[in-house]
This record gives sequence, structure tokens and C-alpha cells, in this order.
Amino acid sequence: MRLLLVEDDAMIGTAAQQGLRQEGHAVDWVRDGREAEAAVANGVYDLLLLDLGLPRKDGLSVLRSLRAKGTQVPVLIITARDAVSDRVAGLDAGADDYLVKPFDLDELAARVRAVLRRHSGRSAAALRVGGLEIDTAARQVRWKGRDVALSGREYALLEALADRPGAFLSRAQLEERLYGWDDEIASNAVEVHVHALRRKLDPALIRNVRGMGYSLVKDA
Amino acid sequence: MSIRRRLLVWLLAAVLAGGITAAAVVFFQARSEANDLFDYQLRQLALTLRDRTYAPSQFAEVLQGEEALDFAIQVWGPDGTELYESHPQLRVPGAVQLGFSTGEGVDGQWRIFAIQQRGLTIQVAQPMAVRSQLAFEAALRTLLPFLVALPLMGLLVWRLVGQEMKVLESTASAVARRTPESLEPIAIRSVPAEIQPLVAALNGLLARLGGALSGQRQFIADAAHELRTPLTALKLQLQLAQRARDDAERSNAHAMLGEGIARAVRLVEQLLALARLDPDAPAKREPLDLAMLARAVAQVHAARAEDAGLVLEAEAAQPVPVQGDRAALETLLDNLVDNALRYTRSGKIVVRARRDGTGAVLEVEDTGPGIAPGERQRVFDRFYRGESSPTGGTGLGLAIVKRIAERHGASVALADAADGPGLRAIVRFP
Repeated sequence: MRLLLVEDDAMIGTAAQQGLRQEGHAVDWVRDGREAEAAVANGVYDLLLLDLGLPRKDGLSVLRSLRAKGTQVPVLIITARDAVSDRVAGLDAGADDYLVKPFDLDELAARVRAVLRRHSGRSAAALRVGGLEIDTAARQVRWKGRDVALSGREYALLEALADRPGAFLSRAQLEERLYGWDDEIASNAVEVHVHALRRKLDPALIRNVRGMGYSLVKDA
Repeated sequence: MSIRRRLLVWLLAAVLAGGITAAAVVFFQARSEANDLFDYQLRQLALTLRDRTYAPSQFAEVLQGEEALDFAIQVWGPDGTELYESHPQLRVPGAVQLGFSTGEGVDGQWRIFAIQQRGLTIQVAQPMAVRSQLAFEAALRTLLPFLVALPLMGLLVWRLVGQEMKVLESTASAVARRTPESLEPIAIRSVPAEIQPLVAALNGLLARLGGALSGQRQFIADAAHELRTPLTALKLQLQLAQRARDDAERSNAHAMLGEGIARAVRLVEQLLALARLDPDAPAKREPLDLAMLARAVAQVHAARAEDAGLVLEAEAAQPVPVQGDRAALETLLDNLVDNALRYTRSGKIVVRARRDGTGAVLEVEDTGPGIAPGERQRVFDRFYRGESSPTGGTGLGLAIVKRIAERHGASVALADAADGPGLRAIVRFP
């Protein structure tokens, strides 16, 4: 999943970005409200992690103007403001969840997964497509009853495809979900990950149609 | 001694003194009047006796009615033999001279009038005590109303003062009801004019106290809020260190953790420094040289400047003596230099101590990005961080600088650097 982290504090930003990357997310990081708006306008993000006390334009204003423009991207507020009125204001402005500093990396990752899951219309942490079972909370994959160990990027690619089985995602779309701005992307990165997945699971699981992209075969 | 008792004592003493003075005046006046009156009576009586040519033996009969007035009558013949004496037992002094005189008898003074007629000497005498008695009675009658008024006035004063003091009591209970949570002013209208200055002063104190308290509360709230940021960073950095899969990741995470701890320590130190700078306590005054201070602070930061590839210079050749708190001024200069080091990417930082026409001046000038004029006031606010603030700042440095300057009666201003971009912080001592 590709996330946009909006945080003005360098230390928190660095650490959160690194922690979320370890979870297999592609994380872009901006430090103020205006940059955040520009990034959302240009990029395709699955989730926004939004601090409230931001320079140039505060988080709540950013959120309100995003929602006013009809942007549906899920938003998780991360802030030191812990008053109930602040939480209510944040949720009313259109946030999907609210996390108070200081928080735990594991908790952050769990909240991110929960918001993403809710947003994709799945309420359960488990995703099932044919013989494929994905536990999005534990980030574990089972293929026909057998545990399969995947790298972070392989997992992210598989989850992206399993989210809408049968639908095609182009290589560019997949790259966007898998990589942030700073990540170096090899030209054949997606092919490499798809190849690995086919090898570890089933060669017939992922279909590749020229000009359309990749999709998960529902009844493989 | 209570106001009530003091008032009572003094007021009653004044009334009593007034009464006594009035009685004394009446006494002397009455005695003088009685003297005139009785002298006239003495004379009349003597003249009556002279005009009636009674035989001395008849005097007793004639004078029967007069005895009540304590007159003593004596008649002597031409040869000095006593022909008559009305009150032999009184032993009135013998005739000394004709006309009025005052003589000493056995029982006190006598007023005497003597007259001669056909060889007879007639003397009429009256004890002076009668006159004094009369005057004394008149004086006593004058004093009486005062003596009656005395307890009444006492009662009146007691009740009146008590009533007025009730207002004080209600003011006192209004003060007693004030708590750190409710410091609203005490109503001044219902208070007597004499107590209004006290209540006004009290209200002033309450207002200052309220201001100081809410300032402290705000400070604690702000401080707690600000501590969350470095703590959040620490928590995340610690977890990254725990999750590290190899030595490179681990040492990187540990380095970040170390930075995070240094920053939290700095924040706590700055908070302590600010809390110690009680705004109401005046600064210590000791003679010191700002030039020496500038050189010392520049030296302390020399290594850090060198690491960052910056030139750090002290321009402080001439001594600049001032009176001040050495440790506090060191903190002030330290914060200014620390800021300059944080913001300046390349170029140089100058720490300057000089005198100009108005007084001593401390300056720190850098070649950093400077601060937009619109932001130059706000940067002194606690926890305010500029838009392009580098990491590690606490947002407290300039607040501390400002407070130390204020305690020294000095002013702090931010200006553009003399040439090119950069910031010049100017601390001007009176």
C-alpha cells in the first residue's frame, strides 16, 4: 500500500517512515500542510497519515479542504492533541481514525491495516480468494492450507491484487502502490516480484495480459 | 488594640475632658458671680445694721433670720470691747480693716466686711466655703449631662463601629472565599471609602496572582504537550532498534535513538531554565564584562561550529562592563549562538559585545536564512517554531533569551544582518 505521511517533526517522520516501510508499505513523507495537499493532488495514496500541528496549513484545514473537494482517501490522524473535543473535531472533519502521540509502531501499523481494510469494504482481517488466504493483520499468507513466507513487497503486491480479484492493475499502478518517491525502482521490479509469487504459490495464480496489466485469477 | 476599643477610649476621654473643662469654667464663673453677689449681700447687711441704731443687745433679735446664711456678725464698742458676737463658737477673725477683706479663721477663710458708725465697729463675715460650695454645685450640675451622655456615647460608638466593622468582616470573608481557581475581584462599591484603597490593592494583587497562576498552568500544559513530541520519537526509535535485523540497521537505529534522547534532554533543560527564571524576581547584580562573556561563549561553541563547517568569531576587543547575572547572561548568549548554529548552513557567525551612545550591546549575527519581519515578534513566544525550523529545536530558546533580557531591563530585537541574508539578534542594555 502506498501511504502519505504528513509530519513536521523530522525524528518522528524518519522513524515512522522507516517502521511503516518495514511493514511493506511505500511511504512518502511531507512536512507541511501545503506540500501534503500538493502530494495528494498528484499522487495516488491508499492512506494519509496526518499530523494536526503543521506549518503553513494545519492538518485539520488540510483534511477539510480534501473532503470538500470530494477526495475519498482514508485519513488517519496522528497528533499530540488528546482532548476529546480534538478527537471529535478530527473525526467530524472526515478522518477515519485518530491516534494520539506517543504511539507504538505496532499500533500504528495495526490502525493503518484496520483503516485500509474498512475502506476496501472488508471488515474481517482475512482475505480469501480460491485457495489463497491472506491474514492482513498478521500479514500471513496461506496457499491451499500451507504457510508461505513472502517478502514485504511481494506481500504488498499480492494484497493489492487480492483486494479486487479478477481486476487488472497496470505495472505503473502496482509500482505506485509498492514504491515511494525515494525508492529506487528497477525497471523490471514488478515482473521480479510476480515471478517470485508465481514460484512460491502457483504459476497460474497471477495472470498477465499485455496492455492491461496483472490480475489474480479467482478460481486458480 | 482594636480600632473599636481605641476609638471608644479616645472618644470617651475627649467627652470627659470636655465635660471637666466646661465644669471648671462654670465653677470659676459661678464662684466669681457668687463673690460679687455675696459681697453685695455682706455690704447690704452691714449697712442695714448701721442704719438701724439698735442697741447691741437687740442685734440678736434683728439678725435672727440672717443666721441661716452663715453670716457671722460682730460688733465692737469704741474702746474695742466686743459688744456682740452672733456665733462665738466660730471664732471669726477679728476686725483688721474697714471695708472688704479676707481673713484666716480656724475653719478656713472668711470673707469680711467691716464698717464704723458712731464709735461702733460692725463686722459681717461669711465663710468662703459657702461660696465655693455654691460654685461647686453649679459646676456639678454642668458636668451632670456629660456624665449621663458618657455611657450613651460609649454605647453608640460601640454599636456604630461594630456596624462599620461588619463591612470589614464581609470583605474578609469575601477574601477568604477566594481560591486559586476563583480569583475574581471583590466588589468595591459596598465598602466604605476608607477601606476602598485596601480592597482596590487587594483586587490588584488578585489580578496579578490570577495572571501568574494561569501563566504557570499554561506553561505546564504547553510543556507536557511539547514533551510528547520527543517522547513519540524516542518510542518509535526504540522500536526500530528492537526490530533491527542486522548490525547496520541496529547501529543506525541506535544513532537515531541517541539523537532523540539528546533532544529530550535539551528540552527538559530548557524547560528548567525557563521555570527558574521567575519573572518577578529581579536579576542578580554583579559587575561583569560582556566582552569576556562573548569570547567565552564563542569558545564553547567553537568545536561545534567547526564540525558544521562554519566560522564562529567573537568581536569583543574592548571591555564592556555591565551589572548583571553572569550565569543568566551566559544562558542568553548560549541560546542565541545555538540558534545561529542551528539555522546557518554556511558562512559565519559573529558574537559581538560593544558600547554605543546609549549603552552596552550584545549581538549575534549569522549568515543563515534570517526571519521574515512578520514573524520576528512571534518567535519569542514559548514553543513557537518557525516554518523552516530545523530539527532538534525546543521552541524555547528565544523565550528564554527574552525573559533573561527583561530581568536585566534589556531589550531584545531581531534585525537583518548588516550585509546579505542572515539574522542579527541585538540585546541592548540600559
